[in-house]
Amino acid sequence: MTISMITRRGALGAAGLLALAPGAASANPVIGAAAPDFSLPDQDGDTRRLSDFRGKVVVLEWTNHECPYVRKHYGSNNMQGLQRLVAERGGVWLTIASSPAGEQGYVTGAQAKELTASRNAAPAAVLLDHSSVAARAYRASVTPHMFVISADGMLRYMGGIDSIRSTRPADVATAEPFFRNAFVEVAEGRAVTRASTPPYGCVIKYVGA
Amino acid sequence: MDSRLADCGLLPFFVSMLRALTILLVALALAPAAGALETPAVTSPRATVTVIADHDAVAPGQSFRIALRQRLAPGWHTYWTNPGDAGQPPEMRLTLPEGASAGAMQFPAPERIPFGPLMNFGYEGEAVFTIPVNVPADAAPGSSFPIEAQADWLVCERVCIPEEGVFRLDIPVAGTAVPAAPETRALFAAAEAAAPRAAPFTARLGFEGQAGAIEVAGPGIAPGSVRDAFFFPLPWGVIDNAAPQPMTVTDGALRLGLTRGQAEALPAQVDGVIAITDAAGVRGAYLVAAAPGAVPVAGAAPRGLPLWQALAFAALGGLILNLMPCVFPILAMKAVSLAKLSGAARGGVRAHAASYTAGVVLSFLALGGLLVGLRAAGGVAGWGFQFTSPVFVAAMAWLMLAVGLNLSGVYAVGGPVSAGGSLAGKGGHAGSFFTGMLAVLVATPCTAPFMAAAIGAALGMGAIEALAVFAAMGLGMALPYAALGVAPGLARLLPRPGLWMDRLKQGLAFPMYGAAAWLVWVLSEQAGSPAVLAALAGAVLIGFAAWAIGVAQSSGGRVGRIAGAAAVVAALALLPGLSAAPRPAQAAVEAGEPWSEARLAALRAEGRPVFVNMTAAWCITCKVNERVALATEGTRQIFADRNIALLTGDWTRGDPAITAVLRAHQRDGVPLYLFYPAGGGAPRILPQILTEGIIRETINATGSS
Repeated sequence: MTISMITRRGALGAAGLLALAPGAASANPVIGAAAPDFSLPDQDGDTRRLSDFRGKVVVLEWTNHECPYVRKHYGSNNMQGLQRLVAERGGVWLTIASSPAGEQGYVTGAQAKELTASRNAAPAAVLLDHSSVAARAYRASVTPHMFVISADGMLRYMGGIDSIRSTRPADVATAEPFFRNAFVEVAEGRAVTRASTPPYGCVIKYVGA
Repeated sequence: MDSRLADCGLLPFFVSMLRALTILLVALALAPAAGALETPAVTSPRATVTVIADHDAVAPGQSFRIALRQRLAPGWHTYWTNPGDAGQPPEMRLTLPEGASAGAMQFPAPERIPFGPLMNFGYEGEAVFTIPVNVPADAAPGSSFPIEAQADWLVCERVCIPEEGVFRLDIPVAGTAVPAAPETRALFAAAEAAAPRAAPFTARLGFEGQAGAIEVAGPGIAPGSVRDAFFFPLPWGVIDNAAPQPMTVTDGALRLGLTRGQAEALPAQVDGVIAITDAAGVRGAYLVAAAPGAVPVAGAAPRGLPLWQALAFAALGGLILNLMPCVFPILAMKAVSLAKLSGAARGGVRAHAASYTAGVVLSFLALGGLLVGLRAAGGVAGWGFQFTSPVFVAAMAWLMLAVGLNLSGVYAVGGPVSAGGSLAGKGGHAGSFFTGMLAVLVATPCTAPFMAAAIGAALGMGAIEALAVFAAMGLGMALPYAALGVAPGLARLLPRPGLWMDRLKQGLAFPMYGAAAWLVWVLSEQAGSPAVLAALAGAVLIGFAAWAIGVAQSSGGRVGRIAGAAAVVAALALLPGLSAAPRPAQAAVEAGEPWSEARLAALRAEGRPVFVNMTAAWCITCKVNERVALATEGTRQIFADRNIALLTGDWTRGDPAITAVLRAHQRDGVPLYLFYPAGGGAPRILPQILTEGIIRETINATGSS
């Protein structure tokens, strides 16, 4: 009896001491857990919240239109095709531009509309995350970085758009389309086979970084 | 690139300009380069890139190396195999003549390149990626060996630019291979030294939830030998790349705390590179592989106890201290007086119990802090505690023996009992606090044995773990009194002081004798029978000293004390001999002869080439070099073929003659490798990161000149 009490005490004391060690981690987004909510202005200046879209499958696409990896997927029309697929299946596609002013990929609302028109893109909205708040909440690291959120607001997919880490448009045809597969599985209410894949692309320019 | 360009719509123009420029540069690179070993550069404002060979001419059937060489403008970087949170490693596709083959691209160990909350793994400045190429045996001397290399690389600063180049090398085929000029060979040697090496380390890795750790165990790792370390996993998503990796170093093992990354499942085996900066500031990178399992626990060197067990034993040890003849009567007295108190005073009693506990625990923490401080000072001074050193093991065996003899009653340890009496006599919480401290002091004669065991265990632990062990011991010791303060009724359960206390104390001597016997066995494994003889001779002297002191204590004579002190001194005099005792097997392989200026001069006078290895027991870079480069079959063969003498200088204790040699070669510390060619001349200084290839190149280069 006494001994077990001492042991517990000793262990508690040790835990207290060890907690002093540095390295407490910041939270990662977790597959199967509630996707972090955000509130961002869109290309017209209207505020959009993730929670506004509850009941629909939501896709988040982090972008920087000058990034060669993003250009690979817009130049080959792969991204526009995926945007139309999501719209046809009743999903909501949110393109998020997290570059702050003065950095590559920074866009105003007017420029975002111009890019959508000139690239024949079809997102439901382009959201301007100039202070990197949404990027931090999702730990978005690159452009393009893709996320799929199911109708009940849970995070179902995070990672790369496909399997071939390159800037060559020709690789789109031969790559395994990780994001597309995950979206279709979520839209059809099935479990996602590969819920977290390596994202690839240009590093996201965070405010203050 | 600037966003203003995009705003003005100039960007597309700028991009097409860039593209045109790149095509032009590629065309330039394709232009024939007469006799050049290095192709013309593909140049951008960000990077200057070439392909270079380590031979001016190659022989049929030979293996040689080419390399993709990147010189990057300040602020720009390229990437390792696992680029971290963004980026992409360079790629190179070779077109080789019929019958030729090439190996995989060798990446240098990466640096951490932080970017806001993200972390990339890559290179700044200059990066050299080598590829081994085999020339077919039927290549005709006089012909040319053409290599076409198509390379892609991503170069990033705040923006990322993909670049590419097509390079062509035409290397003459000759009957005898012609190595490249010294600068080029130095470039390849540096690339080889920068590549992660196979290392004599074993690794364990595990996660529980988000938190985890990797533990790397192997020779040379000790609290004084490692300054900094970082684990770079090869697969994506194993770790959170930007999370700090808090380090704990114990004797023989190094632990880095990890935070789990975004991959859903861990691979069956996690391969990676651990970069270790040693106490002298030399960075070495080592390949490690670990099958994910339980989280490696801090301070749990392979032969040590898990931390929770060490804490449990420490607390139990502290509890047993209360049963010692010099502590228990006080406890029993206190218990009786507490039991007499009326209910009204109980609240006050609890506060007093808390003060007493604090006094005991703080005293133990002070002792632990002193120990940790001494050890840190020792590490700084270069004589890091080595649990594996024969001197330490023999000293511990004698300490255990001395403790056992004390418990057996052969002699007593005088406690400074009166010192804290007046402080403890004070009223109030300060009085209780000092009573706690006094209890620790009073108990010294009996606690010393257990303290010795705890100190021994704590020497092999990290600072925080060692302090935790001491705190646990203090809590264990304070527990009965604290429990009595909370529930005075428990006093009825206490046995009466009596003869049983002495019997218990004497009985506890036997585990101590057992520990001493075990340590002598460890010594026999480490250093062979001469060390065992020295240790046992020392044990006899310790026994004599204990007896002589005991006689003096009972009869008051002075002679016994002097004789005892003399015997202890004699035993300690045996210790330095132990460290010089030959260690069996593998250590002898790379040892060579001991270095001295005179021996070096004599060998050079004979006209023999000499290889000098300046090393130290606590230098991890030295130990790894000795295992992976000096003690290999290939190196021994070269030394034998060329009749090279190996002289080893041991700087473990800071030999001033070796210090002078280090200074003469602009070095502050070891390792230092010197090769004195036959027939005189200045020695060649080898890099601090050694490989078999570098040793061979150095010897061959000087041999041919």
